[in-house]
Amino acid sequence: MNTSAIILMAVVWIMIFSLMIFCFYKVFSKRD
Amino acid sequence: MSSGREHWGTKIGVILAVAGSAVGLGNFLRFPTQAALGGGGAFMIPYFVSFLFLGIPLMWVEWTLGRKGGEYGHGTAPAILYRLTGNKFIKYVASIGIIIPLLILFYYAFIESWSLAYAFFSLSGALADAGSKNELAEFLQGYQGIMSNNYFDSVGTAYIFFIITIVVNFYFIYKGVSSGIEKLSKIAMPVLVIIATLLVVRILTLGTPDPAKPVQSVANALNFVWTPDFSVLSESRVWLSAAGQIFFTLSLGMGVIMTYASYLKKDDDIALSGLTASATNEFCEVVLGGSLIIPAAFIFFGQTETLRIAHTGAFNIGFVTMPNIFAGIPGGFFFAFLWFMLLFIAGITSSVSMIQPMVAFLEDEFGFSRKKTVLIMFLLTFLACQPVIFFMKYGFLDELDFWGGTVFLTVFATLEVIVFGWIYGVDKGWKDLNEGAEIRVPRVFKFIIKYISPLFLFILLGAWTYQMFIPTIMMKGVPEENRPYIWGARIFILAIIGIMLYMIKITDKNKHKGEKI
Repeated sequence: MNTSAIILMAVVWIMIFSLMIFCFYKVFSKRD
Repeated sequence: MSSGREHWGTKIGVILAVAGSAVGLGNFLRFPTQAALGGGGAFMIPYFVSFLFLGIPLMWVEWTLGRKGGEYGHGTAPAILYRLTGNKFIKYVASIGIIIPLLILFYYAFIESWSLAYAFFSLSGALADAGSKNELAEFLQGYQGIMSNNYFDSVGTAYIFFIITIVVNFYFIYKGVSSGIEKLSKIAMPVLVIIATLLVVRILTLGTPDPAKPVQSVANALNFVWTPDFSVLSESRVWLSAAGQIFFTLSLGMGVIMTYASYLKKDDDIALSGLTASATNEFCEVVLGGSLIIPAAFIFFGQTETLRIAHTGAFNIGFVTMPNIFAGIPGGFFFAFLWFMLLFIAGITSSVSMIQPMVAFLEDEFGFSRKKTVLIMFLLTFLACQPVIFFMKYGFLDELDFWGGTVFLTVFATLEVIVFGWIYGVDKGWKDLNEGAEIRVPRVFKFIIKYISPLFLFILLGAWTYQMFIPTIMMKGVPEENRPYIWGARIFILAIIGIMLYMIKITDKNKHKGEKI
């Protein structure tokens, strides 16, 4: 893979995973 | 007022239900083809700009309006927007917030049933018998009733799977919001993520399946998907396509999120829940959906052919190319089964959300019982799907998709954001959004909701009117023999609009709650 593809894929995936982890952490850290 | 309406059982339940509504066939079929044709990795730039300025703000607007409406015992756009604005004109225009999900449901349920049928055909060996691409294309056309061939002599098989699909859908609707939709979503969404992950792992570990074609490798496939072609960013079509994708993928402008949010309690969080559902959808779309069909097509057919296939449309990739690919790998029948089950699960969690607004309308505004509502809706869906099934080859389905899935969607989203930001008032709306919020919503979104999102939507409306709406309305390129069916579809849509407007009119006299809607 070329560098620009790796960087872009990594940035986008990390961004989405971070948002998901942040959201689900917040959801599960409070009781329903 | 006390409405006696249902409520979601758990916070994770409503998040998964909204995520389930958003994650549909488009995540795994439409997004990857749009990205492949829109500059690969560079597509992500307009895509995430649209997510930030259109997707997230509109999503919060719909959740806020929905929960507010639920407080007054209303779950659909006409009643909610009228209650918040007092404007009768808005009440009638907002009827499209019920019409859109209905129109989409009438063809979506049929397409969803193809996935179920193909999952069955994967296991029965029928798909394996039609191994080559041409044979699979014939298989699909025979199944859809477009032609009579060796595989199918009529649309009968498709009809059986269609009936099974709508019965399953209405079973969950009959069970209710908490015991039906929520339970379905709590099981279906984790299963969907597991299946999609298994398929992604399978595709990304294919290596170089044909040693004679070393270029067609996983690494080069990912290069193809992610290498940014920044030159496309100057093309308006890429920006429009990315904005459209964000719009469709998050189930925005359909009225379904509003209905789902109406089953929340007054102090339930919406800021975090909405963001979590959207994040889940983005994970399913970009991370999982982006790693399936286009990389797989590249590995087996190479770059030129993949682009050609992408131009032929998402359904062609999903129902012809993918089974063809799976036929070439060990245990392919099982992976084909998983692929079509993935589409079916993604489909059913979306289609139940399209049924619910009309169900809510009948229950909330007419006081109908669940049983009566489900029976009416089942018959309506069954009857309305008939022309879609039998006139599909004449473009009936495409016409419903054009009006329900594009024109009305954009108009309704514009209406919502204008009502929220300018008529109900952004200050009141902002206060509502933050009530019970478990995250602090950045204040910049107040500005975005009031100015940027409406501007974004007006630009989209203008550009689509010029590029797409006028040529489609004028039936540019439509064969002469299809035109009566296209007119038939338009009369069908007008009839549904007429019935809906009449129903809203008689709810004016409806006293079962002691108030006008």
